[in-house]
Amino acid sequence: MDRTEKYLSSLFESYKLPVSEKRKKLFEEFVIDSENVEMVNTIVTNQKKMVDSWKIKNLIADVNEKQLLIPNATVDKKYEAEFSLKKYNLTEISDFEIEGLENAGELSFEKALGKITGTPKNSGEFKLTFKFKLKAQSEDSAFNEKQISFIVNPNPKSLWKDLPSDTTDTYWKEDNETIYSKLGDKQLVVSSKRGRSHANVGSFRDDDFAYTHIESNGWSVVAVSDGAGSAKISRYGSKLACQTIVDYFIDKLNDEFSASFSKLIEDNHNTPSDEIKKELSLSIYNLIGGAANQTHKTLNEYATTNNFTLNDLNSTLIYTVFKTFSFGTVVLSFGVGDCPIAHLSKDLSEVKLLNWLDVGEFGGGTRFITTTEIFASQKFASRINFKIIENFGYLFLMTDGIYDAKFVVEANLEKLETWKEFVADLNGNNESSIKVNLEENNSNLCNELSEWMDFWSPGNHDDRTLAIVF
Amino acid sequence: MRRLPVYFLLDTSGSMYGEPIQALNNALSGMINTLRSDPQALDSLWLSIITFDKEVKQLMPLTELVNFQLPEIVCPQSGPTNMGEALMLLCKTVKQDMRKGTEDQKGDWKPLLFLMTDGSPSDLLQFKEAVPQVKAINFGAIIACAAGPKSKDEFLKEITTNVVHLDTADSLTLKSFFKWVSDTIENGNKSAGVTEELALPTPPSEVHLVI
Repeated sequence: MDRTEKYLSSLFESYKLPVSEKRKKLFEEFVIDSENVEMVNTIVTNQKKMVDSWKIKNLIADVNEKQLLIPNATVDKKYEAEFSLKKYNLTEISDFEIEGLENAGELSFEKALGKITGTPKNSGEFKLTFKFKLKAQSEDSAFNEKQISFIVNPNPKSLWKDLPSDTTDTYWKEDNETIYSKLGDKQLVVSSKRGRSHANVGSFRDDDFAYTHIESNGWSVVAVSDGAGSAKISRYGSKLACQTIVDYFIDKLNDEFSASFSKLIEDNHNTPSDEIKKELSLSIYNLIGGAANQTHKTLNEYATTNNFTLNDLNSTLIYTVFKTFSFGTVVLSFGVGDCPIAHLSKDLSEVKLLNWLDVGEFGGGTRFITTTEIFASQKFASRINFKIIENFGYLFLMTDGIYDAKFVVEANLEKLETWKEFVADLNGNNESSIKVNLEENNSNLCNELSEWMDFWSPGNHDDRTLAIVF
Repeated sequence: MRRLPVYFLLDTSGSMYGEPIQALNNALSGMINTLRSDPQALDSLWLSIITFDKEVKQLMPLTELVNFQLPEIVCPQSGPTNMGEALMLLCKTVKQDMRKGTEDQKGDWKPLLFLMTDGSPSDLLQFKEAVPQVKAINFGAIIACAAGPKSKDEFLKEITTNVVHLDTADSLTLKSFFKWVSDTIENGNKSAGVTEELALPTPPSEVHLVI
């Protein structure tokens, strides 16, 4: 059967006019009639055209319905993302282009590599045009177009504002403070800076610190505190806590007490006995634990007289009291909260943690000097620490703004490797190559540390306080 | 880096079909854009979307805001509101997602939950079973939103004390609701983990706090 015959026989059948046996001859003549052959030809050609066109429409619709997800980019951050037919399994496409990338900045599509590369400069949601041709389409046919969404996040650094805090506030304090001081035969440098999260909304620095050196008997005191972000006047809580510590020790470590206490420490070192040890332990417990107790009391009194709750003053607190003896430096310390105190030997060969951290299961689950339960807890005594350091190197006290960014987790505080990195960082091994020269006659030390403190660390925008005794 | 995980449980049952689901899509997209311009949110926010109608789906697994792409939320023309089943899936998901603080890892901030419905649970039995499970999870805040005249506050009150009511689920109202949600999230970011109860910002006039 030829094409015309086949077509016509099924056409007539669909019209319920099947060719009967007796009309077969007539049908054969009809089939070879040149006019009819021509007409069937035209119909079949047109049908094929329509089928092809419908196929293409379907394929285009398939591509249009397909979600082509391109990973988000960030302004100023180098970007590279695969964009290929293979990745999106677009097997019916013969050729394609991507347009509109330039709106996002210095980005381009490298066809040979199948990659979008470059560095975006503008943030927002951009519409890219994906122009494609199907294998089923002729080469000279126009491109089909599909819109693809492309998200560029802003550069987080550019979003932070630096709004000054309200200087007329009752509990206002300097946004940033850096000091250098000689503490007897040692030096102290401390920098305490308002975090970006506070600067962004013009709120206050919650961290604080205080220090003293008692010239007549050689004792030094350094205290660092971090006011809880959620507590109403914790910025004052941290200040009052540190000041109370300093005042307390100036009072307690008077020359008379210092003489007997120092003798006890010497006896314990030179002629140790259980009895001396017991007496010394009790003495340290009373002195160091007493300071924490006094601070709690002072904060409580302040809250009561000024119509605040004790929680309004919530602050973590770490402090050390130290003095040079002939056999080394005696360092006493106490800590509540998540701020570490550590000693690092000068040759960086040994690190000693002088406190343990209160860290909760969830972020922010810390304890404060205002937490009454800590004093009744059996663990209270373990917050007090006594160490003799033969070769004094560096004593660090820091708030979580430094610790979170540089040590991340508690376990890293035990690792010498992390401390070496930390010291290298202070020595200029950082993004901005800022070097802090921890030397006695460095008149620029305060500026160096203050600048170093502004390091960028994603997610860590809390207040930062770092005290270094060296 | 500490994450602030935020879960959205969204009602996509039949009654949301048409304008409401369109309004929801627009409002969500507006919220995401607002959050993207907050540096703190960009650093710490992770988002997840679970939708519920007759089917319960995790439309978007917990994803960092930086990498987040909002999928289009669609809903069937009719069908039940399986809120109970959705809460069950939520509990399972949160338990899998949560990073607890250990010696080597920073714990997440307490997660936040936003639940929005324009009706009431069809699967009451599952709902009753899910409520104590949701409460057992240490959410930093749960905010439940009853949108439109048919929504029932009383079921939501079983889950949280923070119930808000929207008179309609139209474009303007949803937009202002989700603006408020982003304010709440940004607030959560600031006080993350430290406070027991997240302080909610003052809602706009379209959002009524149900007491």
